Amino acid sequence: MLQPLPRSVLFRSFLRTFLLQASWNFERMQNLGVLYVLSPALRVFYTDADLREAYHRHMAYFNTHPFMASPVLGATISLEQRRAAGQEGTFGVEDFKSMTMAPYAAIGDALFWGAVRPLAACVALFFAVKGSLLAPIIFLLAFNLPHLWMRLLGFMRGYTLGISVVEIVQRHRLPDLAIRLKEGMVVVLGGLLAYQAVATCRGAGMPAGWGGAALPLVFVFVFFARKGASALLLLSLSLVLLATLFQVVIW
Amino acid sequence: MTFFDCLLAAGVAVLCGLDRTAALQLMVSRPIVAAPLAGLVLGVPQLGLQVGLLLELLWLGRLPVGASIPPDDTQVAVGATFLAATLLPDGGVQPAVVIFCLLIAMPLAKCGQLFDRMARRANDTLSRRAGRSVQSGNLQAVDRMHLIGLGHFALASLLTFVVVAAAGSVLCAILMPSLIGLLEAPAPWMQLVFPLVGAAMILVSINVSRVLTLFSASFASAMLMLWLL
Amino acid sequence: MKLVLARIDNRLIHGQVLEAWVPNIHANCIIVANDEVAQTTMRRLLMEAAVPKSIQVIVNTVEAVAHLLNSAELGDARVLLLFATARDALLAFRAGAPITTLNLGNMHAGAGKLKCSCTIALAPEDIEDLQALEAAGVEIVSQCVPTEREVAWSRMLPKVKGEG
Repeated sequence: MLQPLPRSVLFRSFLRTFLLQASWNFERMQNLGVLYVLSPALRVFYTDADLREAYHRHMAYFNTHPFMASPVLGATISLEQRRAAGQEGTFGVEDFKSMTMAPYAAIGDALFWGAVRPLAACVALFFAVKGSLLAPIIFLLAFNLPHLWMRLLGFMRGYTLGISVVEIVQRHRLPDLAIRLKEGMVVVLGGLLAYQAVATCRGAGMPAGWGGAALPLVFVFVFFARKGASALLLLSLSLVLLATLFQVVIW
Repeated sequence: MTFFDCLLAAGVAVLCGLDRTAALQLMVSRPIVAAPLAGLVLGVPQLGLQVGLLLELLWLGRLPVGASIPPDDTQVAVGATFLAATLLPDGGVQPAVVIFCLLIAMPLAKCGQLFDRMARRANDTLSRRAGRSVQSGNLQAVDRMHLIGLGHFALASLLTFVVVAAAGSVLCAILMPSLIGLLEAPAPWMQLVFPLVGAAMILVSINVSRVLTLFSASFASAMLMLWLL
Repeated sequence: MKLVLARIDNRLIHGQVLEAWVPNIHANCIIVANDEVAQTTMRRLLMEAAVPKSIQVIVNTVEAVAHLLNSAELGDARVLLLFATARDALLAFRAGAPITTLNLGNMHAGAGKLKCSCTIALAPEDIEDLQALEAAGVEIVSQCVPTEREVAWSRMLPKVKGEG
């Protein structure tokens, strides 16, 4: 059994994951970030030429989702520790990193960017519609609880479990969870838009039922968006149409 | 708008801008947070909230995937709030002014993609320099190179904000007198068009099956519920 | 079987493919043609675990994939085909894969490669392979995600020669 890394060193590495993408570049993407996260641990495991070699190893191209990097890098520290002790397993450190980065990027993009963020935003926007300044706070809480959970637990579990951390990610079926959350988000969004449509009609002194017209309008926008129209174009066209309409009415 | 106010807004622009890619990613870079925050430091929180609400709904579905860079919604949010604050210093929300500022800030912030790309290109140099340092045995340099990247991203955010705020102010001064009258009547309806367009954008880009049915059902039942109550 | 997108992407299955392309082209089957991944169980499992279960994933060697695409096995699936390199795409095409257009997504920079755009860097042998594909009638375009503009790869090349 290997002597576990001092907690202070592990914690320093963990804190550094928040700056993983500080030098994101087109050529090797998160390479320096990875080194920045790993270096406190690498300095414990290696000295002199070995340390330089370890640095060289992690200068390679690496890119994944910034939150999902936590389990990968936690496990990488554990693999480096084994390697330093001469107990490397079937998969080398480089193999592990290159194997996990793309699938984990896909999982993180789907879960955090595609699902958690819009869902948290939709819920918070109900407060914004009511003019409550709680909206940003609710959004930040709803987004960051799962975010920080993944960062912290992913990193710690990655270190204690090493390569087996992938089994946990596997077992939770995160891509399917992402789809569920997206479905939930669409439902919340539908409700939010209905509320806004009704509120706009009431504000203009019209019967609330006219708000129902918002739904076919969404379908019109969907039609144009499928044809490749951008959001800015659709907005500008709507504005021109509305402005002309009102000018005609006034005349 | 004092010089100090401008500095504060620029500070918010840089902090929130760094959160986009370079640091933390707590999502203070999202319009729903960045705009009210900018509004708060400028003393017009409700104005910021209104800007954030519209932008967040419009760009709900935008994803930062891989090496492709989405438009800089953070600087649109901060920039539009800044412009609105210069026009409405008392913080009262006038829909026409909010819509006007957003439509000015949105195209201007396209330069953000360019600056962001330049920052990432500049980071290529850092990566290469760090590689040479490792080869020559200077390992300390790697951390330093990495953190210099923060500076590049901060500069990109600052430049984008300055472009939006400066060019936006000029455009506001030129266009405002002739256009604001035209915007007065359609503005409340435009506030509804933003979320409708945003919803359409997310509905065409989401990988959920039968999403239009799900959305329509949810919209219809919410309508009925509001009608009953 | 309908081949809705054939793409070279050295990251194979990742966010751009799943979040941007799959909903845009309504694919319901992703086929990864890569010898190395097909032969490493761990790699294959990780890749499969990144895809929601509503989408079928097939990972196999380039040759087996070319064969599969010509069989009736896929039914009426809408297929997104992924290669890691230009060489694999050429081999699959020669083995009979019905590719008419080829999308260049990510081809990563490396020593001795010419940078064509932020995401595309081509080695001399990549250019040869792509030229061979083009000569055989395959239309080659570069487009990272659907919201970006499509660029014909021939338009990228003169720029490369200029810079190289």
